[in-house]
Amino acid sequence: MDENKYLAALKESIVNLDFDGIHKAAQEAMDAGVEPQKTIMEGMAPAMAVVGDKFETGEYFLSELVVAGEVMKEGMEIITPYIKADSSKKAERVVIATVEGDYHDIGKNLVATLLKAQGFEIIDLGSDVPASRIVEAVKEHNAVIVGLSALLTFTMANMGEVIKALEATSLRNRVKVIIGGAPVTPQYAQSIGADHGALNAMEGVHKCVEWVSSSRR
Amino acid sequence: MVTEMTPRERLLAASRKQRADRLPFFHNWRHLQAGLAERECRNRGMGITWSRPSCIMKMHGVTAVEEGDRSDPFTVRRTYSTPVGSISLLEKRAPGAGQWHAQRGWKDITPWQVERAIKTPEDYKVLKYMIENTEYVADYFPIEQAQEWLGDDGIVLDSFYGALWDFVPHSPMQTLMIDWIGSEGGRCFIHQAKYGDLVEDLYQAFSKSYEAMYQIAARSPADIIWCPDNIDGVLVNPRLFEKYFMPEYNKMAEVLHSHGKLLAVHMDGRVGVLKDLIANTPIDIVEALHPPPLCDLPIGEALSLWKDKVIWMGFPATVYELGSQTVTEFTLNLLKEVVPGERLAIAMSTENLVSNENLLMLTSILENAKLPLTPEKVDQIEKSLK
Repeated sequence: MDENKYLAALKESIVNLDFDGIHKAAQEAMDAGVEPQKTIMEGMAPAMAVVGDKFETGEYFLSELVVAGEVMKEGMEIITPYIKADSSKKAERVVIATVEGDYHDIGKNLVATLLKAQGFEIIDLGSDVPASRIVEAVKEHNAVIVGLSALLTFTMANMGEVIKALEATSLRNRVKVIIGGAPVTPQYAQSIGADHGALNAMEGVHKCVEWVSSSRR
Repeated sequence: MVTEMTPRERLLAASRKQRADRLPFFHNWRHLQAGLAERECRNRGMGITWSRPSCIMKMHGVTAVEEGDRSDPFTVRRTYSTPVGSISLLEKRAPGAGQWHAQRGWKDITPWQVERAIKTPEDYKVLKYMIENTEYVADYFPIEQAQEWLGDDGIVLDSFYGALWDFVPHSPMQTLMIDWIGSEGGRCFIHQAKYGDLVEDLYQAFSKSYEAMYQIAARSPADIIWCPDNIDGVLVNPRLFEKYFMPEYNKMAEVLHSHGKLLAVHMDGRVGVLKDLIANTPIDIVEALHPPPLCDLPIGEALSLWKDKVIWMGFPATVYELGSQTVTEFTLNLLKEVVPGERLAIAMSTENLVSNENLLMLTSILENAKLPLTPEKVDQIEKSLK
């Protein structure tokens, strides 16, 4: 069995945003007995990294990034039933949300997709999420990073409420908090006690990778 | 000697690339916090812009029903029924909706669809039926009424049709992307990738339908026709802008220009990635352009790049959040950046309500911005504030 052929087909389908291709490649890989974890780690994840690179260089836009993520998701739906539970090392978990009162999720989704491509496990709570729910998710999933997004200036203040809620528990010292969104500035991040105010999606993702890099070595 | 212009004359002069006596600044009627500060600022030169529709949309063979649980009065399901099927959406409104400006809440929040009307491929034919059976009937009364009331205090913009509770007057692809299919989770991109033919077909149907609306707007009593397109380069990437937005703006402009109207388009997002393409559109006024730190294109650069266009910039709410000292510094730097200050007007805000303090602070600077601006004049303004 030439595993590389199957891995290349998976990768190609994602990079080329090919829904039909991923269905075929994922099923053929499973039928041929390729280890499911390997199809993810050596086929799909590297493909998303290529898509992320293309986004960073301006060859791909948000639309391609979203569609590539969806193509991968459909491939995962085929592969997931073949995965056997194992005790291998778990990815770092990031809880991400658009804060209460705000429904804008483009930036949040963009960052979530890019973080997945960097090997993080994403707990996406969606939009209009109250602080209490974010705190519960951090606790439940043992997250190491909390990503908060807001587009509106009057919902921005709710990011500070989340940080206060984390501080009110023992969780604040365990997690890094990164905030983002059009109105967010590094000064604002500092003023509410966040660890970082992302200038854009890529810069924010690089910061998250930097935070966990020592534990990945 | 240049005589003192009225707010209307000032804003129209700038919009027509003519010399105004001073930098036009204005508040959007929708954001106008009628009262103490507003009156003082208007007495000191702040104008008003007011958008009103020039036509009524009638949909034939379509019924729309709204229903909701009164224990959650701000969440409403709206169902459209047609001979070819039904679609429905779930809309969440903020307190104040229907009691102030249309469906906006007290804090100026627009309704948000938490479930979209276009969910599956089968839904496309229903919306296509709706738009193909839409008739546009000219009704200039709202514009004439606002013009009479405003007089020389500002300008009435023609916003095509009124956003009752069906459509927002976005251009065809934008209305599909953000009103009907939705952008949450990148839904509009996924639909474009999976159901490209259906999206294209519906886009063509909207584009054809809107032609009648452009003809009505061209004969409107308003001088400026406003397309509230909410352009953001993150959502509307250059490929989409070139394929679906530029041809529509070309079509609008051809009709409007032949009747002496100016075309203004609301571009309130990060448009840096689109700046070269925007330069090649026939848009007369780039409205609501927000400079950094809110968005990504400095006003000076935009003015330099778009020499045939006028910019009505929106003052960034982010700056207001940082306090009056920052507002002052930002505005003085802005004035230095845009010297001599032509082809520019400043909206106090296009997206958010403004505090009285900030409104007065900004007015105290802009009321003294006599044109043509020079670095020395800006220095004098700075000294006058101390």
